[in-house]
This record gives sequence, C-alpha cells and structure tokens, in this order.
Amino acid sequence: MSRTVLICDDAIFMRTMVGDILQQAGFEVVGEAETGVQAVEQYRLLRPDLVTMDIVMPDMGGIDAVREITKQDPGARILMCSAMGQQALVVEAIQAGAKDFVVKPFQPSRVLEAVNRVLAA
Amino acid sequence: MDQARYAELFREEAREHLAELDTALIAFEQSADLTYVATLFRNTHNIKGMAAAMGYRVVEQLSHALESLLEGLRNGHVQAAPDVLELLYDGTDALRSSIDEAVAGRGDTVPVALGQLLQRLDAPQGLIASQAPIHAPSPMLAAPSEAIPVSFRAPLSADRTVSVRLVTDCPLKGVRALLVLARFDALGVVRQVEPPSSTWHLDSFDGAFDISVQTASAPDVIEAAARAAGDVESVLIHPIMARSRRDDATDGLRTVRVDRRRLDTLLELSGELAITRDRLLRLVEECDQGSTRALTRVAHETARLIGALHDEVAQARMVPVGQVFDRFPRLVRDVSRELAKDVEFVTEGRDIELDRSLLDAIGDPIVHLLRNALDHGIEDAVSRRRAGKGAKGQLVLRALRDRATVIIQVEDDGRGIDRQAILRRAQQQDIVARGVTSLDDDALLHVLAHPGFSTARAVTAISGRGVGVDVVSTRVRALGGTLEMETLQGQGTVFTLRLPVTLAIARALLVDVAGSTYALPASQVVEAIAYDAGTIVTTAARESLILRDEVVPLVHLRERFGHPRREVDSYVAVVEVGGRRTALLVDGLVAQQDIVLKPLEAVRGGAPWFSGATVLGDGTPALIVDLGSLT
Repeated sequence: MSRTVLICDDAIFMRTMVGDILQQAGFEVVGEAETGVQAVEQYRLLRPDLVTMDIVMPDMGGIDAVREITKQDPGARILMCSAMGQQALVVEAIQAGAKDFVVKPFQPSRVLEAVNRVLAA
Repeated sequence: MDQARYAELFREEAREHLAELDTALIAFEQSADLTYVATLFRNTHNIKGMAAAMGYRVVEQLSHALESLLEGLRNGHVQAAPDVLELLYDGTDALRSSIDEAVAGRGDTVPVALGQLLQRLDAPQGLIASQAPIHAPSPMLAAPSEAIPVSFRAPLSADRTVSVRLVTDCPLKGVRALLVLARFDALGVVRQVEPPSSTWHLDSFDGAFDISVQTASAPDVIEAAARAAGDVESVLIHPIMARSRRDDATDGLRTVRVDRRRLDTLLELSGELAITRDRLLRLVEECDQGSTRALTRVAHETARLIGALHDEVAQARMVPVGQVFDRFPRLVRDVSRELAKDVEFVTEGRDIELDRSLLDAIGDPIVHLLRNALDHGIEDAVSRRRAGKGAKGQLVLRALRDRATVIIQVEDDGRGIDRQAILRRAQQQDIVARGVTSLDDDALLHVLAHPGFSTARAVTAISGRGVGVDVVSTRVRALGGTLEMETLQGQGTVFTLRLPVTLAIARALLVDVAGSTYALPASQVVEAIAYDAGTIVTTAARESLILRDEVVPLVHLRERFGHPRREVDSYVAVVEVGGRRTALLVDGLVAQQDIVLKPLEAVRGGAPWFSGATVLGDGTPALIVDLGSLT
C-alpha cells in the first residue's frame, strides 16, 4: 500500500509541483488544502502519513495549522515548505511540531530527502 | 573513567547546588517570589544532569521529581501552599542524603521512605490546580512498600563535545542547525552550544557549531543521529573530557578546581621553605665578613621570594566564609520551627575570607552556638513581649576581619545568661570557690567551657547554657583561636570566635621542658622572664607569681608533662587565654620562630595538653601546647 500525503498550499502551481514529485516517488496524494483551516480539517479526516505545509496561507497560516494538527496527533509528520528569508517562521513552525523543512525553489532530490527524514523520525 | 575522582567532583559540586537550594528555598518561603523557583529549578536540574552522568539513578530520579514539582510551581499548576513547601524541604533533604549514599556507593535502592516521598512529589494530592498530572509517575515506583532495586547496569553517560558542519549549500542553516540540536536533545542532555543557538539566525552563522552533550550513546550512534537531521557535511566527536566546574564561562576562566590535599602539601612545603629561609639568613649573618656580601644579597632575595610564594599559596586556600554560612539559614529555620520560635536570622560579612581548613573546622562550633542561642537565648514570643521586645527574635552570624585574625560572632537578642544561676551551679560542682559572689563575662565563660560543668535541667530552664560550650572552646583553641563571650541579662549574648586567618603557619615561642622542645603559640604569649623564687607566693591551694602587682597562677610544665619539678635557672612564660593570665614555668627559652602546624589527631584524647605538632628546622619534632587546656 502506498503512503498517503496531504498537500497544503494556497497556490495551485505549488500543490501540483509538490504532488508530482511525491507521486513519482510512490506517494498517493489523498488530499489538498488551500487554507490552514482546511488543512486541519482534512488531516482529521484523512490521517495521512505525511503533510506538506506552506507557511503563508489565508484563513489560519501554516504554523497555526501545524500547532492544531500536532495537538490532535502529536505523531503527525509535517514537512514545512518555505521560501528563502522565512527563517524565523520556519523556526516557529518547527517549535510548533513540524519535523523538517524544504526551501523553494524545490529540487525533487531535496524534497525526497526531507520526506524520507520526516518519515524515518 | 576514574569513578572515584568524578565522585569527589560530583559531591563537591552537588554540595554547592544544595547550599543554593537551601538559600533559595528559604527566600522563596519568605517572599513567595517566583524568581526563586527559577533558581531552585536550575540547581535541581544541574544535580539531575550530574547524577545522570554518574549513573546515580536514585539521585537522578529524585531530582527529576523535584524538578517536576518546581515546574508546576513555575507554571502555576501547583500553588505555593505550606504543604508544598514542606515537600520541597523534605525533597531537598532526601536529595542531600541520597547524594551522600550514592557517592558512598550505597545508593542503588530506593528506600521505603524515599519511595513514598517520590510518590508525594509525583502527585501532591489536592494541590494541583489542573487535573493534568505534573508528569507520569515513574513505573519504578509502582510498589513503594519495599526497597526497589534500581539497575546500575545502565551505561554511564558522559559529556562529549561534537563539532558539526553543515553542507555549504544548505538553505536556512540556522533552522537546520536547530534540527541537529533537536536530535542531540533526544540523545541526552545538551549542556552547551557554541556559537549559541540564539545567534544562528544571523547571516554570519556559517553552519559550523559545537554541541556539548551528556549522553550514554556510543560515538557511531551520535554521528548517525546528527546526520539524520539532514544537510550535515561532517560530524567530529571529541574524546570524553571532564566537564568544567560550571557552565558559567566567565567563572570557569577565573577559577580552577584543585584537590585540597595538593594545596595542603604545597602550603606545608612552602611553610617549611620559609623556616629553612630563617635558618639560612641566620647562617649568613654569622659568616657575613665582607667577602660574603654577594651571598647575603642572594640569600635575602631568596628569602623575599620564599615569603611571596608562601603568601600566594596561603592565599590560594582562602575561601569566603559565605560557603559555610550558607548552610545555616536552613538550620536556623528548622530549629526555630521545632522550638516554635519566630526568629530572624541575619548573616553579615559573607565575603570575608578564611583558610579552607579553618572554614571546615568552624562549622560545628558555629552550629553549637546557633543552637544554643535558639534554644536557650532567644525567648518565645510571649516572654519577649512581656520583656518589652519585638515578638521576633534576632540572631546574627557575623564575620569580621581584624588584622591577622578573623572574628566570627554569634549574637542573639535573647534573655542573656543568668550569672547567679550559673554561679550557684558552679559552686555546687566545686568549679568556683564558695566565697565568690559574682562572675564577670570571662569567668562565666570559663565556667561554661569547663569540661565537667553540667547544667542541670532546672538551670537550663532558667538560663543555662554550657551544653556544647566546652566543645566549642576546645575546638577553637585547637585552631589557635580564642573564644570570648559577652552577655547582658535580658538583652542578649554575643559569642566571639577569634581565629588566625590561616592555620598552617604560626609564630611560636619554643621552650625547653625536661630536655624536649615544646611550642607555645606566640599570639598567646604575653612575656617571658627569668624565674625568681622571690616573686612566688604560695597559698593553700596553689602557687602564684606576683607580676607587677598582679597575681598570676603558676603552672609547672615539668609536672604537667610528667616530670619531677625543677626550679633552677628556670624561666617563666606568661600566657593569656580568654583574658586570663597564667605563668608557665619552663626549663629554658629556645627561640621564637615560625612553625608549620600539623594536626595531630592521634594525640587527642591521650594527651589533653597538646593541640598539634610541628617539625623544627633541624628535623626534630615538637608538640604544640594547647594553652587553654592548662589554665
């Protein structure tokens, strides 16, 4: 059974790109979320093996979503997707419970390395 | 690793933390200021870390439980109720004894009492505001009704410093470094990070950092963990090193921890060197006939250097009295609680420095004096109010520097000592002649310090002290010091210990008694004169010397030391101890010189006249006379 992933990003482009990388690596994209609120709700319903999370999203940002999700499930495996220059926010996300991060622009190899670390932890 | 050496280091450092715990605990109880909780937490946490490193499981567990309780106080889940404070006091006590047990190699089981305490610490019933337990009770404590063995086979954890370098193209190096740090957190206790993680967000952070971690994990496990954080270029694990004394870097630069025995030896050596210097100078003087002027200069220069070296070494052993004083607030609190007396305890002069060995030795005498003051000196609130005083008693422990001596005072504002009651009692015991009608302070102290003097219960109830004063007096004299006392009926009592700043070297008058040389501490010798039979008066009980209208009791040292009397070509050394003069009849005066004091435990008990021994410049030993014991 392939592993499941929930992709959270308000840009369709980014969701597609991340989805492609992960599908090629054998993941099944079981859900997508455009807002933090959706991310929390989807996680509760889907309980995926992995979550990729954008930091800046409307209607509850990524960091608050991480906080909510880890409250529900302390074992949640969340990978933060950030842009350069968001160091402080990434730190906050990790303190909130995210397991690792990747920085845009995404290189498939780096994304997969990070995903493997998150799942191995 | 050298367990014994680490155990010693552990014990010393743990004691410092315990002293800080005591101080902060009392301050917290009095002020309810939560900043003290942070201090308590930090010290407990340090003990926990050190105990884990040593494999002292009981200590570790206990400090962990204390830590959780403190955490509860800090975040408001636990209220600072009297029960909780009692629990903290009990916990600190248990921590102290479990540390002693562990260091002695006996701490591998949780005693019943400790098990119950741990349970109380785990869940102070009804004290927790939220229903969430402070932390899950340890499964080891499931059955506290019997002694529970704690495995000692857990690998000993040790401090390691690990240098990590991130790959050059690693994005957000600061965040990646934090992820590495998180992996180390999972391995053990992170002690120190260099550069500090607070600077990792800066552009100047290049992705290279050192982490000091205390962990039981093997090097390959550590490396794998670091690499698992991602983007790690290299991991370098440094060999295990003894951890520096404190995490505080500035302190670490200023002080070095040295084995006290090593300092003792150094001091002894430099002391003997100083004595040899004196002999060398004397020899040089004897043969100084012009041609040896160069030799004289060299000898004087050598003498100067030796003096400087000796001063410096002596200085290295000096420690502030605060190190001992810190033990007492807790003691005073406990004793005054026991006696249901309200007492304000003040310490003054904590920075005054004293030789380390003296400091260790004065702890017990001070305890005696403080207990006496609390027990017999300070009255209960009702009596105090009746006497027109504040309900709260005052107890002051004070250190002062006075030239070459350090003065330690214990002062209370209690009822003072009842001279008449003591006098009656002393006369009943034939310590004081029947005709005497009053005792001044010195005479009173002399009675109290009399080894045979006992205060009957009735006397104690009125005013009596005496219990322990002889112990204090003996101990202080053995240290080359003196004990004085002032008391005012209804107003209080001050005990004053006057001590030499350093114990190891002292000026002495060397005298000859029956062919052997004895040393009299020069600080207590008033004068030495040729013996003149015409100045002696003999009363029924004793002989005395008339010295410029003063009558001074005479003691034949030959007789005291078990030889027949002899009074031909003799000398008299007049000594003064605690304000009382005594004339000692000796066969001859040898010299006045510096001597190195060596404690002489073996002599105690057998020969009450001696406080120690020394080795003279020519290698012969000489006993040091305890002048207080002769009067």
